[in-house]
Amino acid sequence: MSGSALEHLKVLIVEDNQHMRSLLRSLLNSAGIRDIIEANNGTTALTALREKKCDLVLSDLAMKPMDGLTFSHAVRTAENSPNPFIPIIMITGHTEKHQVEAARDAGVTEFLVKPITASSLFSRIAEIVERPRAFVRCEQYFGPDRRRRTIESYAGPWRRHDDFQDLQVQ
Amino acid sequence: MTMKTKIKAQVIPPDAYPQMVTKAQAAGITRVLRSNVTAVTASRVIEESGDSLREAVRAYVGELEGAGLDFELLSEKAHEIRGFAETAGMMATGRIADGLCRYFDDACQAGVRPDNAVVALHVSAIGRTARDTNALSQMNDVVARELALLAGRKLAESRRKTS
Repeated sequence: MSGSALEHLKVLIVEDNQHMRSLLRSLLNSAGIRDIIEANNGTTALTALREKKCDLVLSDLAMKPMDGLTFSHAVRTAENSPNPFIPIIMITGHTEKHQVEAARDAGVTEFLVKPITASSLFSRIAEIVERPRAFVRCEQYFGPDRRRRTIESYAGPWRRHDDFQDLQVQ
Repeated sequence: MTMKTKIKAQVIPPDAYPQMVTKAQAAGITRVLRSNVTAVTASRVIEESGDSLREAVRAYVGELEGAGLDFELLSEKAHEIRGFAETAGMMATGRIADGLCRYFDDACQAGVRPDNAVVALHVSAIGRTARDTNALSQMNDVVARELALLAGRKLAESRRKTS
């Protein structure tokens, strides 16, 4: 199978800046991706996702009225979400630690910092295609496994298997 | 009485949910995405988008300059400029906007109010470099470095005052 499979991918770009949408579209076109839908915020993106089956989402973070974090969270957890497993690449100029953590906790698959380059964008897409991640469902999170790798020397508690919740029993 | 119950996370492996492509297609796609031909084509796309991106950066710069002392709006616009400028080839503008973003972030983290003069100097330098892309890059480097030093010094002063 050749890379012509790219021609069959449908990508949703969620970005409030028309110039950035246009640049992303052109970059995707240059890789052979032709089927592209655009939305200018999270609200219109959710509608677009419900109307058209997409394979991948590229989303900005700061948008109004619905930002990329709320949008990603809704895609992952809303009861009427058309595809809670869809890969989401968050593209943003906000690089502060709390923003990155918020994106991760909203269920974003990959994080791409602006200024973007073609190679950074394509490598994120390749990563998603090449190494799809397991999904995790727990009380407070649904999304791609946030553990990227196993640290051999890790000596802390294995919280995923040993999490406890205090329960009052009369 | 308090009892502890085990809460386990459910792990859904990749082959248990629908993938965007098959494994066979994935190999072809990654080959294309990582090929030199795609890289060259994409670089050309970015070059061709230069004018449009510079127009976008200048629009953001206008909004930055019109934001007065609304630090939230200034920070938002500075982040947008940082995200665009380097892709548009406006390296100095991007670097100074990056400095302003860091200053806002550091001030926020330290719980101190950003200094009006530091912000105004950054805004002015961003405006100048955005309009005069032929300005000497060496000069812009000096300006960016001096602004970063000034921001660091003012932040340290503010921290001392509040502690």
